[in-house]
Amino acid sequence: MMNPWPVARAALRRRPWTSAALALLVALAVGLGVAVGAVERAVRQGSIGAVAGFDLVVGAPGSPTQLVLASVFLRPEAVPLLAGETLARLMAEPGIRWASPIGFGDSWRGHPIVGVTEAFVTRGGRWTLAEGQPFGAPFEAVVGAAVPLATGAEFEPGHGHSSADEAPRGHDHTDYTVVGRLPPQGNAWDRAILVPIESVWELHGLGEGHGGDETRLGPPWIAPPGVPAVVVAPTGIADAYRLRSQYRSGTSVAVFPAEVLVPLLRALGDVRGLVAGMAWGGFALVLAAVFLALSANFLARRRDFAVLRAIGAPPGFIAGAAWLEAAAILGAGVATGLPLGWALGVGAGMLAGGSLDLSVVAAPAWEDLLAPAAALLVGLLAAALPALAMGRRTVETDLRR
Amino acid sequence: MPDRAAGWRPLLTVPELDLPAGASLGIEGGSGAGKTTLLHILAGIATPRAGRVAWGETDLAALPAPARDAWRRRHVGMVFQDFHLVEGLSSLANVLLPALFGRTRASAAERAAAMALLDRLGVRGDVADVAALSRGERQRVALARALLFRPPVLIADEPTASLDAEAGATVGDLLVGLAAETGATLLVASHDRALLGRLQWQLRIVGNCLVTP
Repeated sequence: MMNPWPVARAALRRRPWTSAALALLVALAVGLGVAVGAVERAVRQGSIGAVAGFDLVVGAPGSPTQLVLASVFLRPEAVPLLAGETLARLMAEPGIRWASPIGFGDSWRGHPIVGVTEAFVTRGGRWTLAEGQPFGAPFEAVVGAAVPLATGAEFEPGHGHSSADEAPRGHDHTDYTVVGRLPPQGNAWDRAILVPIESVWELHGLGEGHGGDETRLGPPWIAPPGVPAVVVAPTGIADAYRLRSQYRSGTSVAVFPAEVLVPLLRALGDVRGLVAGMAWGGFALVLAAVFLALSANFLARRRDFAVLRAIGAPPGFIAGAAWLEAAAILGAGVATGLPLGWALGVGAGMLAGGSLDLSVVAAPAWEDLLAPAAALLVGLLAAALPALAMGRRTVETDLRR
Repeated sequence: MPDRAAGWRPLLTVPELDLPAGASLGIEGGSGAGKTTLLHILAGIATPRAGRVAWGETDLAALPAPARDAWRRRHVGMVFQDFHLVEGLSSLANVLLPALFGRTRASAAERAAAMALLDRLGVRGDVADVAALSRGERQRVALARALLFRPPVLIADEPTASLDAEAGATVGDLLVGLAAETGATLLVASHDRALLGRLQWQLRIVGNCLVTP
C-alpha cells in the first residue's frame, strides 16, 4: 500500500487558483445540469399541485386551455360566460360532491376578488381555514394566504383587474369584511380574495340569484346570471366522466384540468430532456478541457515525477498522485456543483413560477445525485488515462530534461 | 547513446570498475561526457548496451525495469544537482516521502530518524514549505531524504554545482561525513575539486574512457 496523497495535495496547494478555477468549471457544468432537472421537477409538481382540487371545470364553449388558465391559474382573458340555465342545471346534477361557480370582476390592490360558494372555500368541508371562518353572509370575504388583509379588516373593491382602476370608479360604497384566511396553497389562489358569488352578482347589478332573498347564500339559485367557469367535484370517477361528456355540448365545454396539463408537462419533459442533454454535453466538454489542462500540467512536471521514480517511487505511486490530483479537482467540482445547481434551480424556479403565480420550489431530491454521480464516475475513470500515462514514462529520458 | 547516422554510438566504455563496499568514488568529466549516464546505469535507472553492472551478487543490467526499481528503492539514496524536493510539502514531509512509496504513513521510528537527520544536517523539520528554504538548506533536506533508510549506496550527481562556495562546502562535508558514518558506498559526479579531493577514489572521463587522473 502506498500513499501518494501528500504529493497530490502539495501540487494542488502550489497552484491554488488554477486548481480552484478548474474545480469551479466542473461545478458550473454540474450545477447547470442539476438546475435543469430540479426546475423541471418543481414546475411539474407546482402545476400538479395547482390543479389538485380542480377535478372538473365546466365553462362556455371555447378553448379548454383558456378555461383552465382562467379557473386554475386565475388568468381570465375575456372568457365567454356559461349561460345561467346551464349553471343551474349543472348545480342540480346527481353525482356531485360539491360544485361552485367562479365569477370575476373586481379586484383590491391587484388581488382578484373571486366569487365562489362556501363549498369551494372549504373544498366541500375538507379544508380548514388558517384563521377565522368561511363567509356566512353577503359581503364577507375569505382571503388567500398572500393577501395583506387581516381578519376583521374592511376593504372596498375596485372594478377590473388592475390596481390603477380602483376606488374612484368603484361601485357605491360597498365594503367587504374579511372573516377568514386560507392556508398557503402555492398557486394563484394565494393572491385571491374569495367572496360569495351572490355579492359579485349584486355589485354588478345582476341580482343576487335568489329572487329577492338577499341574505341566503349558495345554491340553488333562481335564474342566476352567466358565469365564466364552474368547478365541479364529482363523487366518483364514473360521475366525472359522465359529467365531462354530458357537458361537452353546444352550450358548454367540460375538461379535467389535468388533461390540459398533461400534454404541456410532456412537452416540458421533452424540453427538459433536450436541455439536460445539452447541459451534460457541456459537462463532457468541460471535463475534456479540464483533463487537457491537467495533462499539460502533468507533462510540464514530468521531471518532478521522474525524480520521484529515481528515488524509488513505483510507477503506481506517480499514477496515483496524478489521479488523486485530478480526482480532488473533480470531486470538489461535483460537490460544489450540487448545491450550486439547487441554488440556481431555486432562482430559476422563482422566475418560472412568477408568471403563473405558481409556487415552483426547486427542492433538492435524491434523483439529482444520479447524473452528477455518474459524471463523477466517468470523470474518475477518464482521469486514470493521463495518470497511468504519467506512471509509464521513461525515467531516464524525463530525468534529463 | 542513440545516433542518427550510425544507430548507436558508444558514449563511454568502462572495461572494468571494481569498488569495495563502503568506498567513495568521484567521477570528473566535461559536460556531456557521460557522467550522468554512468551514474544512472550504476543506479539501475538506465541499462548499458552491453556488459555487466553488479552490486554484490545482483547483476543490475540483467534485471527487468521493475526489479531494478525495487533494487534501487532498497539500496540507493540519490541526490541531484537541483535538489528536486516536492515543493508545497514541509521539510520533514519531504524527508519522509520515500516511506510513503510502500505504506500509507511513516512509522514513528522513521519520523524520529528523519527528525534526527534534519537535526544533524542543521535544517528545521517544521518548515511548512521547502520552497521557503535557501538552496543550501534544500540540498541538505534532499540529502536527508536520500539517507532516510540508510542505503548501502549513495549516489550524488553534481550535488554542489548549484550552490555557492560556502553552502557547497557545507553540503560536501555532510555528504562525505554521513556516507562514512553510515558506511555507504558513495558515488559522486562533480566538477567540484574540493569535494572530489575528499573522496578515496577519483576517475575522469576522457574521450570515451574512464581513466585515473
